[in-house]
Amino acid sequence: MQLKINGETREVAARTLSELIHQFGLNERLVVAEVDGEIIDRSEWEEARLTEGMCIELVQFVGGG
Amino acid sequence: MKWKIGGKPLTSRIFLGTGRFPSPLVQNQAIEASGAEVLTFAIRRVHLDAPHDDAILQHLEGDHFIYLPNTSGASNAEEAIRIARLARASGLSDWIKVEIHADQKTLLPDPVETLKATEALVKEGFVVLPYTSDDPALARKLEEAGAAAVMPGGSPIGTGLGLLNPYNLGLIAEELRVPVVVDAGIGSAADAVQAMELGADGVLINTAIARAKDPAAMAQAMKLAVEAGRLSRMAGRIPKKKYATASSPLGLGV
Repeated sequence: MQLKINGETREVAARTLSELIHQFGLNERLVVAEVDGEIIDRSEWEEARLTEGMCIELVQFVGGG
Repeated sequence: MKWKIGGKPLTSRIFLGTGRFPSPLVQNQAIEASGAEVLTFAIRRVHLDAPHDDAILQHLEGDHFIYLPNTSGASNAEEAIRIARLARASGLSDWIKVEIHADQKTLLPDPVETLKATEALVKEGFVVLPYTSDDPALARKLEEAGAAAVMPGGSPIGTGLGLLNPYNLGLIAEELRVPVVVDAGIGSAADAVQAMELGADGVLINTAIARAKDPAAMAQAMKLAVEAGRLSRMAGRIPKKKYATASSPLGLGV
């Protein structure tokens, strides 16, 4: 299925947000996820089903002033 | 002596930014040398093909820090509010530094959008610390809007030009009841002393430490400068006079 992740179109096998986070090898304690403009709480990632064309943003803390 | 922001007692009066350090090792040395309890961060997209490159939190030692994420990258209140919500969803902090740049050349804060974002985020329960220009009227409005601290800039971010308008910064420190943290533009320890002597409650420093030849040494210098400036302020400086007053008895007397 194709998703738009952080502005890029990507082909993914993941079916849930949780699987997607793991597919990219991300540390789930440090990442925040937004799906179609709505923040999805970490506790809901396992149930958060992905569907074709969803727009996903994955962000984290980086160095900054 | 302790001070408080948003009900949280603090000892250190340095907030340390975490951008532009040469390495995580040097950054950790500088954090320790500065004694900072509050660390600032930015929120950015994960780099999907190298997710650990920018993941700064994996390098931090100790878990006693207060995280102050900023809304840099936002050019209006709406974008800043979105970034603030993302930051809070991390579960790491409900503090937010509102930072809305009016233009990319100077990175000076947009006063109207900063006030709007502050009002909205206070209503959403954030502990809001807006980065603002050194305008005393605006600083008052931010306080009225519920800012937990107000952070006027000394000069544009990363310039090291020091405090361009000490008169205004002094007025802001005098008039506000919430803490005033001078943010941006500090170049060396002398600027940090000056900010504290003007009555600021703290300073936020990033580039001056991160890009110094020896960041850990500069971090220590800033720590001492903030303490010296604060002590000097509380001790009460002498008035300036045009002509000399002898500090030794006049005349030979022998």
